Amino acid sequence: MSPVLSAALAKKIDDLAARYPAKQAALLPVLHLVQNEKGFLSAEDEQAVAERLGILPVKVREVVTFYTMFRRSPVGTYHIQVCTNLSCSLAGGDGLVEHLEARLGISLGGTTADGKFTLTGVECLGACEQAPCLMINFDYYGNLDAAGLDRILEGLA
Amino acid sequence: MISLLIDGRPVEVAEGTTVLKAAERAGIAISHFCFHPAFVPEGSCRLCLVQIEGSPKLELGCSTIVREGMKVSTQSPIVREARRGVLEFLLAEHPLDCPICDKAGECKLQDYASDYGLTESVFREAKEKREKRLPIGEKLLLDRERCIQCTRCVRFLSEITKTHELGLFERGIHSEIGIYDGKPVRNGYSGNLVDLCPVGAITDTTFRFKTRPWFLARGESVCPHCSRGCNIYIDYHPGFPRVPGSAKVYRIRPRVNEAVNGPWICDYGRYGFVEAQNTGRSDRPFWNKGGAKTELSWDKVRIVLGEKLKALRESGRMGRAAVAASGWLTNEELYLIQKIFRDDLNVSRLFVVDPKPGEGDAMLLRPDRAPNRRGATELGFDLALPSLEALGRETEVLIIFGPHLAAHFGGDELRAAFDKIALKVLVTSHLAGLESLADCVLASATPAEKEGSFTNADGRIQRFAAAARPCPDVRPELWILQDLAREIGLRSDLYSRAASARTVFEALAKEIPFFGATA
Amino acid sequence: MTKAPKILTELFWLEHLHRIEAYLDRGGYQALKKALTEMKPEQVQEEVKKANLRGRGGAGFPAGVKWGFIPKGTDKPKYLCVNADEGEPGTFKDRYILNHNPHLLIEGIVLAAYAVGIHSAYVYIRGEYEMIARRLEQAVAEAYAKGYLGRNILGAGFDLDLVVHRGAGAYICGEETALLESLEGKRGNPRLKPPFPALVGLFQCPTVINNVETLSNVPFIVQKGAAWFLEQGLPKDGGTRLFGVSGAVAKPGLYELPAGTSLREIITTHAGGMKDGKKLKAVIPGGMSSPILRADEIDVRMDVDSIAAAGSMLGSGAIIVIDEGTPILHVLRKIAKFYAHESCGQCTPCRLGTSWIHKIVERMAAGGGTRGDVDTLIRLAGNIKGRTLCPLGDAAAMPVTAIAQKFRTELEATLERSPVWP
Repeated sequence: MSPVLSAALAKKIDDLAARYPAKQAALLPVLHLVQNEKGFLSAEDEQAVAERLGILPVKVREVVTFYTMFRRSPVGTYHIQVCTNLSCSLAGGDGLVEHLEARLGISLGGTTADGKFTLTGVECLGACEQAPCLMINFDYYGNLDAAGLDRILEGLA
Repeated sequence: MISLLIDGRPVEVAEGTTVLKAAERAGIAISHFCFHPAFVPEGSCRLCLVQIEGSPKLELGCSTIVREGMKVSTQSPIVREARRGVLEFLLAEHPLDCPICDKAGECKLQDYASDYGLTESVFREAKEKREKRLPIGEKLLLDRERCIQCTRCVRFLSEITKTHELGLFERGIHSEIGIYDGKPVRNGYSGNLVDLCPVGAITDTTFRFKTRPWFLARGESVCPHCSRGCNIYIDYHPGFPRVPGSAKVYRIRPRVNEAVNGPWICDYGRYGFVEAQNTGRSDRPFWNKGGAKTELSWDKVRIVLGEKLKALRESGRMGRAAVAASGWLTNEELYLIQKIFRDDLNVSRLFVVDPKPGEGDAMLLRPDRAPNRRGATELGFDLALPSLEALGRETEVLIIFGPHLAAHFGGDELRAAFDKIALKVLVTSHLAGLESLADCVLASATPAEKEGSFTNADGRIQRFAAAARPCPDVRPELWILQDLAREIGLRSDLYSRAASARTVFEALAKEIPFFGATA
Repeated sequence: MTKAPKILTELFWLEHLHRIEAYLDRGGYQALKKALTEMKPEQVQEEVKKANLRGRGGAGFPAGVKWGFIPKGTDKPKYLCVNADEGEPGTFKDRYILNHNPHLLIEGIVLAAYAVGIHSAYVYIRGEYEMIARRLEQAVAEAYAKGYLGRNILGAGFDLDLVVHRGAGAYICGEETALLESLEGKRGNPRLKPPFPALVGLFQCPTVINNVETLSNVPFIVQKGAAWFLEQGLPKDGGTRLFGVSGAVAKPGLYELPAGTSLREIITTHAGGMKDGKKLKAVIPGGMSSPILRADEIDVRMDVDSIAAAGSMLGSGAIIVIDEGTPILHVLRKIAKFYAHESCGQCTPCRLGTSWIHKIVERMAAGGGTRGDVDTLIRLAGNIKGRTLCPLGDAAAMPVTAIAQKFRTELEATLERSPVWP
């Protein structure tokens, strides 16, 4: 059975941990690393990370469940995170949510049947001058209207 | 030293003392949930807010350090308003469980809600629905709806036992306490979580739904299940007069003693105590001759035994008697055994037989599973186990205190030795296998049911009084010994029933310097 | 109209400014050279103090004074944490600096570290800024390669290590002690103060925490002096501020203006006034946590002290403009949802209060509001403010109180009516 963390991943974790006087301090960057590679954080990932950093699995789960960006279940190939905060709403962001829900046939929090898109609502992304905006995986898109949004979605493989 | 005023009362405390501790010193209690003297102050419940002159905001009592000349108000209108605010928030999401919640009657949320006059709720929204019966330990259930997130449970496991079984997951209103998959609380001290929880979020399955705190009386005692001698409260139902078997011990809780157990007790003692108190009891005297068991009254027993022992004494065969005492007997009882058998009857063979040692731990539990072996040592008893073979050969009458011989020797061995002994008297609180081999079984009281003192392994002598009411037909070994002594014809003030355990101890203290220090 | 001096944003138009060659070409790292070769650390500190550089993260605390709290002669390691969490809704200024001119920030970091005697620094950047974090890491690598970070910087015998550390989506981690907890690999639960981070901070050691924009001003102060810096702003509030304007304006964007510029001027002149002829209803002047101002209250000077005197706060300088077409209940709904979602949950009033307020506002928005709800909101917010373990409680309470008080009539008109638009 293959190990939970590949040798390459384990090495990257060790490198990250070496940047801090205490290994636990590397936990957030390490969880990002593992999540980016595996798509989400499973209980086995929690335990493997815990072991690698010399902390208890319960402490890892405390962190995984605290921070919005850490996921305990898979998301689609494209994770569309729409800002639902004030400035984006003032620029029509709530309409974008409706448009996406209709176009993708899912509601906020859901994933399309083909596993391509997951749609979530998030708080302020820090791009209010380009409201309304959203983030797909790590890419920001701003100044959106329904047409522009459609073009982006079509452009995604 | 720092001098300050709390609610107008002057108080002087050492530098570095918190306002809450200083208030305690002045006899003022400051309401709190998350604070506990054994933990680092957390400051999250926000209930202990106080008003300090010169400070624009209310400050926390649990973590603010006193300053010279500080003027603190713990009950001003603004403070009471702030505390009502905190309580209102907690009550808003709290389930209306009081009628079915074990903690009712000893719940701090109830108490404070009453103190601060919160009777009506304006919360009209839907309360958060959460798990209500989550197993988090062998005898522990967590009700997440009742949990007020004081995190005392989490911090006990991280600061005291350092086993970290509980974690705090999610964020905000969705925060919840829980265990990691398949790793429940199992560290020998889990029962303390129930005491720590200020509300009924963590409940004990051995106590759940069994009774109500306001039906229980509380006695102070000492746990006898190892030689640590943790101080305890015994919570017992005094019993209804016409309902047999209704007098019962329901639970024990720690009694704070900084020098012995702090504010904790171990699970072995906590749960073992109640189980031992309530099950397997020898509850009345009986005679066991020729396979038939005949119940006797105490008077009958006293007369029959007294006759036999008198006869032995008169015919000069008392030297062929032996006594197996136990570290479960009090200092007073052990002393009387020496006075009666060694001094007055010239019995040379006195032994001490106790349960086998068990596992100890780094906190409270000691391997020595008897409360008073140190007492026996200081009294001059020899703690070596007797040779059964020799005992069988040389003994005509054997008096055994406690069922512990059965822990060291097998049934056949014991039977082989006992068959050669003419009279075997067993004085025991529990029927644990030895009773079928004895001729006469006398039902004795447990330490919870009698007065006396134990000497713990550190040499600390701790007195206790009778807490639970015993089954009507059990008697403290002290009385059994006194009654027998008089029946045999021995004379001493100490053998009269008028001599209480206290009186016996005073005599003991005069005779043996070790016990004199605490007379 | 106030002149818009370009100090921080002067070179933002330069496409490759984030590359060290471009930055050096434009005079970058000269301030650092000056400090390391001509000034003692205490002198750098003194200059920043005299410049009255107020913290630009939200609290407005003078940076030079904060640096002075670090104990001298301690044998514990000292740390500098750069707060790049930028979570205050409406705020995006630090993103600009990080994205367009990361070397300016790096230079500011090294200068601050030099001033206080710190040899280990962490940039705590919010996890959503992943692409920007990568650019920052690139800049850091360039700085190391050219000797502006690492051992013996510019041969002056000063060492500094800089690590870029990502957050993972928690507004509370913008609060300095929660940031420290998060940096240590734990939940972002704020710590009790005292002790303050200057004494007991990262890994229990003395720590300075400064905002990105705050540190980015330091090279200019060192290069041109405190007196010059004060001239760009006000005697008690030196320099320019980066105002981020969003909402119903014609030209949402970042505007660098002197501290003390009028809010009305920022909106009507610089940001192009109301969009599509809409009418101004209200302005949130300093990020979502700041008390709302009515249309008739925007003649206020945007410096820390003036706007505080007017009953609001400068905060992060994020100006959110609301038009008459937006029901105030809708604004309140976004605010209530945000704080309920971001509360860490540690202390009673915030955990339960933000949730209760959120539930009431949702019920009002769904048409179920009843008489007394507005008073309840004000009372609950009053039971949160000043009672919590950290300022997020105040941040959650103040906007609710301000809206409920200033727009009471409009809110009460929604009670026992049909649902508001979503």
